[in-house]
Amino acid sequence: MKNYFRFLSLLCASLGLLSIANAQTPLDGLMMPKGEICIALQYDQVTWDRYWEGSTTRVNQNIGTFTKQMGMPMIVGGITDKLNVILSLPYVKTEASAGQLTGVQGIQDFGLSLKALLLEKSIGKGKLTGFSNLSFSMPASNYLSDYMPFSLGFGANELGIRAIGKYELDKGPYLRASYSYLHRGVTEAERDFYYAGQNAFYTGKMDVPNAFLGQVTLGSWMFKKKLRVEASLTAIKSTSGDDIRVYSMPQPTNKVDFDRVEGFAQYYFKTNGGFGLIASYQKAISGRNMGQFSGYGLGITYQFKAF
Amino acid sequence: MKKYNYSILLLVMFAFLGSSCVEDLPTKYEFTGYQFSNLDANAGQWKLVLHTSNEQIPLPTPAAPGSAELLKELADAKEMQNKATSAQLEAVSYWTNNPLLRWNEIALELATKYNLIPAPNPDGSYPVPDPANPSKYPKFPYSHPPYTSRMLAYLSVAQYDGLIMAWHYKYKFKRQASYQLDPQIKSAYENNGLFSYPSDGAVVATASRDILTAMFPLEKEFLAQKAQEHLESLLVAGINVASDVNAGKLIGAEVAKTALARASTDGMKNAQTTRVKSDSIKNAAKIRFGWAWENQETPQRTVGLVPLFSKVRLWNVPNVEAIRPGPPPAPGSPVFEESAKELKQYANNLTTNQRRIANFWNDGLNTYTPPGHWNRFAKEEVVANKLNPVRTARVFAYLNMAIVDAGIGCWDAKYYYHYPRPIQTIPGFKTILGTPNFPAYTSGHASFSGAAAEVMAHFFPANASQFRTWAEEAAMSRVYGGIHYQFDADAGLTQGRQAASFAITRAKLDGVD
Repeated sequence: MKNYFRFLSLLCASLGLLSIANAQTPLDGLMMPKGEICIALQYDQVTWDRYWEGSTTRVNQNIGTFTKQMGMPMIVGGITDKLNVILSLPYVKTEASAGQLTGVQGIQDFGLSLKALLLEKSIGKGKLTGFSNLSFSMPASNYLSDYMPFSLGFGANELGIRAIGKYELDKGPYLRASYSYLHRGVTEAERDFYYAGQNAFYTGKMDVPNAFLGQVTLGSWMFKKKLRVEASLTAIKSTSGDDIRVYSMPQPTNKVDFDRVEGFAQYYFKTNGGFGLIASYQKAISGRNMGQFSGYGLGITYQFKAF
Repeated sequence: MKKYNYSILLLVMFAFLGSSCVEDLPTKYEFTGYQFSNLDANAGQWKLVLHTSNEQIPLPTPAAPGSAELLKELADAKEMQNKATSAQLEAVSYWTNNPLLRWNEIALELATKYNLIPAPNPDGSYPVPDPANPSKYPKFPYSHPPYTSRMLAYLSVAQYDGLIMAWHYKYKFKRQASYQLDPQIKSAYENNGLFSYPSDGAVVATASRDILTAMFPLEKEFLAQKAQEHLESLLVAGINVASDVNAGKLIGAEVAKTALARASTDGMKNAQTTRVKSDSIKNAAKIRFGWAWENQETPQRTVGLVPLFSKVRLWNVPNVEAIRPGPPPAPGSPVFEESAKELKQYANNLTTNQRRIANFWNDGLNTYTPPGHWNRFAKEEVVANKLNPVRTARVFAYLNMAIVDAGIGCWDAKYYYHYPRPIQTIPGFKTILGTPNFPAYTSGHASFSGAAAEVMAHFFPANASQFRTWAEEAAMSRVYGGIHYQFDADAGLTQGRQAASFAITRAKLDGVD
């Protein structure tokens, strides 16, 4: 029963860790037991009025304040006690407060993720757990990736593999760290010529850079495990890619890097399933070829025993 | 058992990651040297564009076969071929026996590289590129569509005149190629039997280097290195000896000089005006027609792009008035309202295919522009039809003369009528394409494409309907994108076709197409 309460919180952590570039990144250190299903609805909004062109800051008055909103239904299920599946399908809307370019909205990427508990060991006054995660996402509509910064996503398949380690004290505080490799495919532009990194490309295919993602989280359980709070530092580094050219449009080939700080909280009304609430705040503190974003997220979850 | 399952899962993941490597994306047009469909033995008699005589640039009589001088050159060429490094062999395969196509490709890439609009200064003004100080931001040139169209015309005309002269001398002196003179020398390309003095490759390398260096001064070293590699490849490929190459260089340098002399006085240097001049042009239109285009960016660009490009010297069209369309419908008139309504409908209900067309033809900032797009089509058509170098140059020269003439006429209409863009006339209108910094009427895309399609149809009649369909698509792409009215597109196509007709009339004088 004690474990059951802990499992309950899986969802919320995942939802709080949304990247503004793509859908959820299941990085938390929790598992759902067999037969448990959690349904979540998450809303995130990020805005920026400055962006990094390469690594220098640019203000463009023809964009004004850029807003990206995302509404995402998500399902997490315990296949076994040690293997979870996560499904997500975000709806994204983008717009700029100034300028003449139109915003877009639509279904972004379908995400499927499997998480496995590989290690569980009591050490001292706490417990060490280790997870591995394999995720796959693919565009779920024919949105145009080559319409940045408005595009809904980068328009390519992504395969992610992650290692997650967590040490949690019996009293509630925990430290979690994860490292991910995100392998991205190519995206299709609607033009068959483009310039990237001093080269002209005679194709509509654009190579979306792969990335490494590292995250460190300090968190704690409170109020008899009804509340959990976390603070995280996330760093994403692309392994290749070009910089946005001077006063030019970004494109999916760009090398996107950023460091982000984040606060996250989840609350359960009951300790045996049912409804829960999530709130989060995130802010980019440094980056390359992306908006200097900050924003918040709100979510509602419902958990039940299905089988 | 469960542990095994997870291990298998991990293995599968890694296998997938390893196998899904990034494919190599093409950074050039993939083609190899080929057998020319025809050698055009009489091309030396074709009408020159900028020169009066095919012997205007005198060449020394080449050393005779069997002479000590030529034997020495053949021995040197043979040694070069035998000692060729892998980089040199790669260059031979890259340049091919129709290297004009590569130089055109380089020109398009430089156009793309320099096609960046200046960013505002902190005080809200905009800097302008300075040809006298090209490396100072914004770098010179800003290779926008008018600049690119003019650049391509000079490049192609210099190549064309140079190759007509080269063909004249080839058939006058009838010197056989090195692979024919010495059986131990192997041609890297198809043995097409073309006479080798002067080297047509050297004409193209030298003329292209010199024209492009003038047009993109910051690329001087890059272009010199490219030309060096190309000239060397002519010997390594077994098709030329040193005196062939030297004679070709002589012609290439001289035709470039003639072309650049014309460029220096063609009016382009005055095309970007001061604010005072720009305002007077705008006020003239306001008085004449009752409307005026205004840039809608923040901060506002107070001077449009090259308001006096219309004064640049034409190639085949007698004057801009000859292809100037009648006035566009006044804002608020029924025709205008119908067009505005249509634009709003497209904005709200754009189909996937319309969006694709808008983006395929966007050819905006950071691209090779519509003139570049048509040059790319021409390149692919030339290879498909296996044209020889002088016939290739002919296609590009007439294509690019027609394109720049259409552009000059289009810019005349743009600033004469000074017609506002949809984002100015339709309140709250938003677009999927960026609206350029110049008036609407006529559409540049339509004008460039209308001209290009007609010239292509003249040279490649079998595909004429394809080219015309593309031109219509290019014109419509701007309407789908929300940055042009239907009447801009229609008038632009007509204007472009008219510009092309003057070029085609001239081409027909040779009676060879």
